[in-house]
Amino acid sequence: MPVGSTVRRIRARRRGRRPGVLAGERAFGWLFTLPALVGLMVFLVAPILVTAWLSFRKWNGIVSPFESTPVGLDNYRELLTEPGVRRGDFAKALRNNLYYVLGVVPAQTTLAFVLAVIVNQRFLRGRGFFRTAYYFPSITSSIAVALMFTFLFQVNGLINKLLPGRAVNWLDNANGLIHLGLRAVGVRDAPAWLAEPEVMDLSLWEWLSGPSVTMFAIMTLAVWTTTGTMMLIFLAGLQSINPSVEEAARVDGASAVQRFWRITVPLMKPIIFFVVTLGVIGTWQVFDQIFAISFGGPQKTTLTPAFLIYTQLFQNSQGGIAAAIAVMVLAIIVAFTLVQRRLTREER
Amino acid sequence: MSAALLATALVAAGCGGDGGGGSDSDPTSLEGLELQVMGWSSSEAEDEALSALIEQFNAETGARALFNPVPEYDATLQSALAGNSPPDVFYVDSNRLPDLADAGVLAPVPDGALSDPDDIYPSLREAFTYDGTWYCPPKDFSTLALVYDVQAFEEAGLQPPTTWEELRAAAEALTTDDRVGLVMGVEYPRWAVFLFQAGTALTNDEVTEVTIDSPQAREALEFVAGMYADGIAASPSQVDAGWAGEAFGQGKAAMTIEGNWIVPALAQDFPDREYAVAELPAGPAGKGTFAFTVCYGVAANAKNPDASWALVEYLTNAEGAEAWTRDFPVMPARASARDTWVSERPELAAFLAGAEYAHKWQFRPGFGDVVGVFDENAQAIVAGNGSVDELIEKTAAAAGDVLG
Repeated sequence: MPVGSTVRRIRARRRGRRPGVLAGERAFGWLFTLPALVGLMVFLVAPILVTAWLSFRKWNGIVSPFESTPVGLDNYRELLTEPGVRRGDFAKALRNNLYYVLGVVPAQTTLAFVLAVIVNQRFLRGRGFFRTAYYFPSITSSIAVALMFTFLFQVNGLINKLLPGRAVNWLDNANGLIHLGLRAVGVRDAPAWLAEPEVMDLSLWEWLSGPSVTMFAIMTLAVWTTTGTMMLIFLAGLQSINPSVEEAARVDGASAVQRFWRITVPLMKPIIFFVVTLGVIGTWQVFDQIFAISFGGPQKTTLTPAFLIYTQLFQNSQGGIAAAIAVMVLAIIVAFTLVQRRLTREER
Repeated sequence: MSAALLATALVAAGCGGDGGGGSDSDPTSLEGLELQVMGWSSSEAEDEALSALIEQFNAETGARALFNPVPEYDATLQSALAGNSPPDVFYVDSNRLPDLADAGVLAPVPDGALSDPDDIYPSLREAFTYDGTWYCPPKDFSTLALVYDVQAFEEAGLQPPTTWEELRAAAEALTTDDRVGLVMGVEYPRWAVFLFQAGTALTNDEVTEVTIDSPQAREALEFVAGMYADGIAASPSQVDAGWAGEAFGQGKAAMTIEGNWIVPALAQDFPDREYAVAELPAGPAGKGTFAFTVCYGVAANAKNPDASWALVEYLTNAEGAEAWTRDFPVMPARASARDTWVSERPELAAFLAGAEYAHKWQFRPGFGDVVGVFDENAQAIVAGNGSVDELIEKTAAAAGDVLG
């Protein structure tokens, strides 16, 4: 792994140095990184710490945060253990975002990988064109993209014209995809064992709804927008693979499919991990598309934690609740990344 | 993103420096004083008109006031307030007033700062009164009324409906294969007019008691839900429009319930649509509508409170109110400007008539969650997977939680 081996090499070199020289280097090292460090402290570490602090306080988001009052764990209690509208909304946001992550991350990773492999072909004509075309959505303003997608997904928009059958109301459709699937096989209502038990004010049946049709439309938008960036990262990884490895496999008589699965994929594993991690972090923070397209509706099926933070802070004067949600989103992202790291490490 | 949102507020909190002009020489002179009016932009024409009015103030007083329309208004204002560097004068929506007043960031109207305050409609003053304190004078107001397609009504031989029964009958008669009788947004700020007309609301006027679990509310909601269920009313998205005004302008609906803002929107995008405005039909308890209004607030810790109030007075006194509403279909908040306004646009008289019985769009801090529950369940009713019972039960429960 390129990163790991570089670190090891640097460490090995350091051990050989005399302490005096090292101290000088260290001071300069800190000096050179100081501007970046100050920036990180002011714009990243400090806000995170203040947010964590605010999550234990009652703050209306209007007066200075230092005029807030301590409330202990009340904000977390309201979001996690006390039945009520706040916990219900938070549960819906978690459910919606979970389906969003589970849908978007695998889709964009797979698609980006395949596209990267294709545009990496040396014999492909117009490679530059395709690379630009695939990357273009990523550099376009997300709000502009969102508006374009609302036109595409309108009832008499292009998507419905291309699809056979009755026109679908994509942008105002709260039906969950899993519910729709079950309906197609004849299960219309929740069986009692799913309708009764509730977790955080949502019945199991509601938890298992799947993303709503509207959320699905937003997911396709997200995949379309981010695939380009991910493709670029994969492309850089693919180009760092030494062509002689591939040639050797070819000499040994490996087919294209075998070469893809036995050579390309294993060598790309660290990059895949990186792309999936980036994807998980980005998808747990989805906000602008929701803001531009659905504003959390219909029936709160596109509500996400990030959007809930916005409404609680700027429309409902509940800055403490907003901070607590922000902290929990951070915890979720860290948890996801750790689990993922463990999984990939075991495979290695 | 999550951290970034909070960070915006916090970074602003860290840089609460002071700027602006100094008022240390002569406290009554506004010469050279910089004043910022922060608001949102409704339209370019409106921005220009307000800027022109402020320019006039500058010419008369020598001040250097400026209108600063900002995107993402609530976030920008909150950051400025939390950072202790509030703009001198800023827009406050009646719906946001309780939050700001409760937080103590608004200065009450000083005695004598505004000329003839009794000329301002009492209901509008009340919309900016919180716990007995009056905070700011309204800049203008809008009400909801019934906007209908004149041609469609003539073809069907109908008069504008004045009761629920007539509204239903009209919606039925006007619904065709490619047109729905009534298009109306699925949200509390529209549906609630029927609650008012039935003599109730989500809560009592003081927002201390939940009143939506009542037979009157049930009757009103069943009436509304029934029109959607029977296909004679539709949500904007059901007819593939962004909002009700667009659906109406496109001819996809013969009636809609919207406010004054529909007038410039129709004039700009659908100049050929011939429409008229009538008061909302009365329900079992009489007439009822919503009034939406915005005031000019001054911060409790304003740098130049006297100058700020002088500017607010200039913008909202009898001449200011009239000048401001001359070119726009929003209505002056002063009774004395009423006649001029109506005589210049008699066709919009119904909007002004609503002022007599309009309810304010206001609850109390933290109530946004409850309105969210109402909207969610209203959307479910229209989508066919909800019920009035469920809406009432869930909204009442949420309101009970927030009211404690």
